[in-house]
Amino acid sequence: MKYSYYPGCAQHGTAVDYRKSVEAVFRSLGIELEEVKNWNCCGALHVPDMTVRAALSARTLASSKGLDMATPCNLCYSNLMRANAALEEGSLKTRVNEALTVKYDGNTKPKHLLEVIVKDYGLTKLAEKVKKPLKIKAVPYYGCLLTRPENKFDSPENPKSLDNLIASLGAEPVKYYYKTKCCGGPILITNEDLALELARDLLIMAKDSGADCMVVTCPMCHLQLDAKQKAVEKKYNIKLDMPIIYFTQLMGLAMGFTCDELGMGKHLVPCDKLIAKIGR
Amino acid sequence: MKKEIILVESRDPAFQDLVLSTPVGEKLATCMQCGICAGSCPVSHEMDYNPRQLVRMVQLGLKNEVLNSNTIWICTSCFSCSVRCPRGIRPTELMETLRPIAIAEGIKNKNERFDGVFSDVVRKNGRASEFLLISKYSLKEPEMIKQAPFGLSLFLKGKLPLAVDKMENTLELDTIFKLGEKVEKKEKENKENKETGMKTEKEEPETDK
Repeated sequence: MKYSYYPGCAQHGTAVDYRKSVEAVFRSLGIELEEVKNWNCCGALHVPDMTVRAALSARTLASSKGLDMATPCNLCYSNLMRANAALEEGSLKTRVNEALTVKYDGNTKPKHLLEVIVKDYGLTKLAEKVKKPLKIKAVPYYGCLLTRPENKFDSPENPKSLDNLIASLGAEPVKYYYKTKCCGGPILITNEDLALELARDLLIMAKDSGADCMVVTCPMCHLQLDAKQKAVEKKYNIKLDMPIIYFTQLMGLAMGFTCDELGMGKHLVPCDKLIAKIGR
Repeated sequence: MKKEIILVESRDPAFQDLVLSTPVGEKLATCMQCGICAGSCPVSHEMDYNPRQLVRMVQLGLKNEVLNSNTIWICTSCFSCSVRCPRGIRPTELMETLRPIAIAEGIKNKNERFDGVFSDVVRKNGRASEFLLISKYSLKEPEMIKQAPFGLSLFLKGKLPLAVDKMENTLELDTIFKLGEKVEKKEKENKENKETGMKTEKEEPETDK
């Protein structure tokens, strides 16, 4: 199994922990991720001109060399998917291609890493790699842009893929009604109060579900729920203490990797209790 | 909610035409004001006008109210409204359509400033280095000092590297960003043509007097 790999900007900054776990876990599963050379930012949600945003993703997609393009980030994934949809329109495609050295042809299929594991690799095969089933309860949190608006691999209202992945690792996915509700990440710099309110609702719901941790698929969700958790606790005078872990870290724990190998020491909410419960 | 009479003067046909002729605008006419967008929106309670209201206001051409509202900026682009709309309208994409128009109109606010900083950083470096982003934005936004502990906590964990992540060659990026400049220019020209057209209509009866 081989994919071209579009890491996205966060993997070189706030999501170095995610990166470490992706590298460890995918190597161990024998899934090759070949990083796109000289890749550029997808524009996330903050390049306001939508033609520019489509062109940014088109440039990345054009450098995939015939492989499906895997990405670890919900925002990147969403922008790649949306660019493919927008560039079906001929005149826009022509205009965008005028700006590109390697021309966009529309044949590259973007895939989120979760899709790569659940659909392409398969959960039955993954379950065989589990060394120690995780006897914990985990919140499957998908965020917004993994399943909206263009995604084709899971439901935008009640997705199941992450639930199934958690279960295949021996852990219990708890019932969680905010699976795809926004965490506030996109406005965490500009509208902090509102962003904290959104994060609070998700974290309290997670706490009430009796979960040992929340599992996320996006660097932005992680930043908001992990790094901002302290700010939420302070602002609303509540104790949350909810570890937020990437799905690749959860996989790694079940596959026998140490916390260090998965970058978990870099989280702002300590994972000690979670790790003690898993027994590693 | 306070009710106000909509004055004829506050309706701007040029703005109405501009938005209604965009891909998302074409569907706006089918809105039946059911409100599923407002009900699905995680931040509608903080919006000046919720998405349902905004759609109606665009239909009416209420340019100033629409472009000056916080609605188009605090939308988190979660697309909940968009996957639920029974008419297949994507209000998220309406916000995305309105933002560049607001910027071209000279609207200033912190979200617009952040988008500006973000675009500049990507245009120059090809990647959105978070440290560069936050420090450049902080220079424009003094209240960012409140977020200093947050930045520091990330830095101490090695998650906010000071080395700027750059592409080897950003020449192509400049060409890509120029695509946006062309559009802004075109929209401005269209608008100016329409405005001057309207002015002459209005001025004619006055000269009669």
